[in-house]
Amino acid sequence: MSYLLEQVLNGLSYGLVLSLIAAGFAIVFTSTGVLNFAHGSVVLLGAYLVAVLHPTIGFWPAVLVGMAGSAVTGVLINAVLVRNLADRKPDTAAILMLGVDIVLLTELTRRIGNQVLTLGAPWGASVVRFGDVSLPTGRVLAAGVTVVAFAGLWYLFSRTDLGVGMRAAAADGPTASLMGIRLSRTAATGWALAGVLAAVAGVFLTSFPAPGVAPTVALSAFAAIPAWVLGGFDSVPGAVVGGLVIGLTSALVTGYEAELEPFLGTGFGEVAPYVVMIVVLLVRPSGLLGSKEAVRV
Amino acid sequence: MKHLPRASALSAAAVTLLALAACSTTAPSAEGGGGSDDVATGNGVTDSEITIGMLTDLSGPFAAGAAVQVTETQAYWDQVNADGGVCGRDVTVDVQDHGYDPQRAVTLYRSMAPDVIALQQVLGGPTSSAVLPLAEQDDVYVGGVGWAGSALAYPNNQLPGASNAVQAANAVDYMLDELGVAEGSSIGVVYFAGDYGGDSLAGAEHAAEERGVEIVAQEITSQTTDLSAQASALAQADVAGVVLAAAPTQFASLAGVLSSQGADVPIIGMNPTFNPSLLTTPAADALLANAYSITSISPYANTDAPGVQAANDLYAEADPDGAVGWEVPLAYVQAELLKQALDGACESGDLTPEGVVAALGESSSVDTEGLLPDGLDYSNAGQSPTTTVFISKVSADADAGLELLDQVSGPSAESFSYGG
Amino acid sequence: MSELPRKAGGAVLVLVALALPLVLSDFWLQTGLFVMAAAIGAVGLTLLVGVAGQLSLGHAAFAAIGAYVYAYTTGETTTSVTGLGLPPVLGLVLAVGVAALVGAAFSPVAGRLRGIYLGLATLGLVFVVRHLLVNLSDWTGGFTGRSVESFALGGFSFSNRDPDYLAVAGVEFEGLHRLWYLFLVLAVAACWLASNLRAGRTGRAWANVRDSETAAAAMGVGVAQVKASAFVVSSGYAGLAGAMLALAYGRVAPDVFGLTASVDFLVMIVLGGLGSVTGAVVGALFVTALPLVLAQYSSALPFLAAPGSGGLDPSTASRIVYGLAIIAVLVFLRGGLAGAARRLRQRTSTPAAPPAPRTPDDGDRPVAVTTPRSKETTR
Repeated sequence: MSYLLEQVLNGLSYGLVLSLIAAGFAIVFTSTGVLNFAHGSVVLLGAYLVAVLHPTIGFWPAVLVGMAGSAVTGVLINAVLVRNLADRKPDTAAILMLGVDIVLLTELTRRIGNQVLTLGAPWGASVVRFGDVSLPTGRVLAAGVTVVAFAGLWYLFSRTDLGVGMRAAAADGPTASLMGIRLSRTAATGWALAGVLAAVAGVFLTSFPAPGVAPTVALSAFAAIPAWVLGGFDSVPGAVVGGLVIGLTSALVTGYEAELEPFLGTGFGEVAPYVVMIVVLLVRPSGLLGSKEAVRV
Repeated sequence: MKHLPRASALSAAAVTLLALAACSTTAPSAEGGGGSDDVATGNGVTDSEITIGMLTDLSGPFAAGAAVQVTETQAYWDQVNADGGVCGRDVTVDVQDHGYDPQRAVTLYRSMAPDVIALQQVLGGPTSSAVLPLAEQDDVYVGGVGWAGSALAYPNNQLPGASNAVQAANAVDYMLDELGVAEGSSIGVVYFAGDYGGDSLAGAEHAAEERGVEIVAQEITSQTTDLSAQASALAQADVAGVVLAAAPTQFASLAGVLSSQGADVPIIGMNPTFNPSLLTTPAADALLANAYSITSISPYANTDAPGVQAANDLYAEADPDGAVGWEVPLAYVQAELLKQALDGACESGDLTPEGVVAALGESSSVDTEGLLPDGLDYSNAGQSPTTTVFISKVSADADAGLELLDQVSGPSAESFSYGG
Repeated sequence: MSELPRKAGGAVLVLVALALPLVLSDFWLQTGLFVMAAAIGAVGLTLLVGVAGQLSLGHAAFAAIGAYVYAYTTGETTTSVTGLGLPPVLGLVLAVGVAALVGAAFSPVAGRLRGIYLGLATLGLVFVVRHLLVNLSDWTGGFTGRSVESFALGGFSFSNRDPDYLAVAGVEFEGLHRLWYLFLVLAVAACWLASNLRAGRTGRAWANVRDSETAAAAMGVGVAQVKASAFVVSSGYAGLAGAMLALAYGRVAPDVFGLTASVDFLVMIVLGGLGSVTGAVVGALFVTALPLVLAQYSSALPFLAAPGSGGLDPSTASRIVYGLAIIAVLVFLRGGLAGAARRLRQRTSTPAAPPAPRTPDDGDRPVAVTTPRSKETTR
């Protein structure tokens, strides 16, 4: 029983980290209609900045710089490239982000080399024990930070002018613009928020139980795509639910691989999130919590 | 566009007519070789020069380690040339970057094949499995494709030491013989989907059957950097040891999580699973306590072997600030293996791609001054050239983090054979 | 625009393509094979995405099905894999047929979803197919894949054997040369068919459904059927492209048909200009050949550091140039490469006149891509 509990807790805590990334996809998509294929590189960028800066300025300041760096990168991508697209269509923007991803990822890969850059996180390899079950401190912290981050997002979107403006812009850009909401500002805020969330996720994805910053981290963002999609494209709460579902699915399929293997083949943990995603989309074409309005293409 | 078909049909017909007129199906008599000595020559060989190829990954996931290998390889051949070359000719290396993309690897192979006598390296699983069959058709030597058993099916391929299955079988043997794992217990195998992982799993399963232990297998991919779920599953199965056929990231994560869950069991990583930078991660203590590495090739710190010392010295001179690691002796020995094959081809008077492959097939006892186990046998096609591997312990004191414990050849490694 | 120059241009291009194997080295021939295979896949995808308006990120899955069907039906049974040993021509037909059938089977799913939802659902398809390829190892050879029988037609083999020696005008025609002509015939036929489909009834029905399903239904178009037909055609094209890729490699492995391949197809058609057949071909040329050529020739550029020295080495530089090229085309060229070429042509041929009205024959223009969409269909 404690084994099941341990796998469930593993899955949920990993799922919360995924939901940070998924929320980044959702916020960028609602604020600018862009499918951000470069999000993985932004996650990697945040973690990389922390890894190279922590020896000189300390871990926490490095995390702040990492968050700022990812946010600024996101804002610049939007201001310099996305807003200047020749055809401002969603599919063109998605391909543009692929180009950005290639450039960013190639340069980061070159800089990281074959080293596993350590993050210098103060929680090291310690674990927290709940009875029979142990969970890495980093994961417990990640769960806490994620909850705080989503509480902050909820406050922003429902209680501040900026957040309400962003929702209005997402719901109907031209009308919002007529009502005095500056779309360029809401878009920049969206990209910045996604960058900050990406850097936070990057820190938790590259600290224990993961060993450090390696280029494969950029690929973990792809694992968040099913989470984002099944939660609903335009829904931040949906990203949380999606992240939890995907985290739990992966952990359980992996944890019970031996029992499942005869039916599903080896390595099903890799595919399971996508299978869940397709099934959910078939039952609810706009995702679990998405609004029907969100189809942009 | 609409009227294209008629135009193209007409032009196709015209060209076909022309082609038929110029067509021939009788081969002209074979051209003589370019050698002034008694040696027959072919692609990539002139009177004064031999060109060899290297298809590597300088822009993809293995870029950094591959760059070390390129540097060491260049230095090796520079030294050979300074000592008089091979067969009285200087050797030049044509290095191309496939970026871990099979399509690029195949295309670059096509551009390279007419101008090289042999390929010292085709780095990477998907890339080498795309190139190997083409090279086999062309009868071109290919070295340095890693250690997957699937490459042994190609007679033109030279494996630098024991295959992955033999390594994994040795790992199981070593756990039972030296690390106190009891018969009847369970051993975990965490492996990458693919040639490398699959071959390792096959070897471990063979050894488990021979030695009466149970295998608990967990398949992962290179994207799996957090092995919490796998570690929990292994701890739940109460494994007494783990064989890991993955990459450094996974080694650190698995060792760290297992140790944090109180599972104090030995973990043996296969060939490319250790990297010295792991000792700066939070998992360093766990690695130092429990981690071993089995390699086909002597670890960097084994400077008692003259070959390793020579390799390290050469690298230190070529790139004093370069990252040290297992790539240094590996690149050196791959070049050394090819040099021996070239020498063999020269001696038999057939310095052609075919001649190099033939020389490889006849070499039944290759020594490399301790870089690889002695007496490598490449005449038994389809089987690993040796059953001996190097076992090292992760150590903070040794250069490149691995301290050699022993060379071993376990009973189930010796009884393992491919295709039966 | 006059028909004559276009016709002459097309004929000249085909003539050049026919003559190229006489002068090209193996590197360029192999590159050409990959480009032609990719072009067919891209043309199929541009019909689906550009003309019929159904975003698909799963094109590689259908290509994989085509490749493996060809390998399985034409291959012989060995100790590790099974095969049917059918004639290669039949294998090629089956590759297209089975891929199209799977497309038909998936189309009810596709019918429920739209736009980006459909795109990401098809993304899942890539992973599912890959999982099957790795696990059904009796048929597929598992992770390492299986080798592919070379194509043959009535005793003439498109490989280095049968006839063992064949020369045209003094140039020895090996497998690569022979495959070049096979691929050229398939590519020209596929482009011709696609242009006709696009300009004909089917293409108009696809475009109607893309622009407004409600309006199309009101005009008596069977929306579900039309959407399904686009999926079937596009999957068939992907199947053919996959089989050709298998022939160009000489083997198939799951890695070739991963997410990157799917995304590459999409990059091709967006770069080329959505909905344009010529654009898809040019996009395929750009995406497939540019990295290969950069990899081959970047070492000749003097300002770059030697590999391993820690500076910007040629291979990293070539990858960055590739990324920047994608960005530059999308930021600066409206309508992608095809759009830019069209504007250039209009500027040079009719400097003062307004853009000519669209005629049914003008096959290269994206069908009504610029038509403003009604509000209800855009959101």
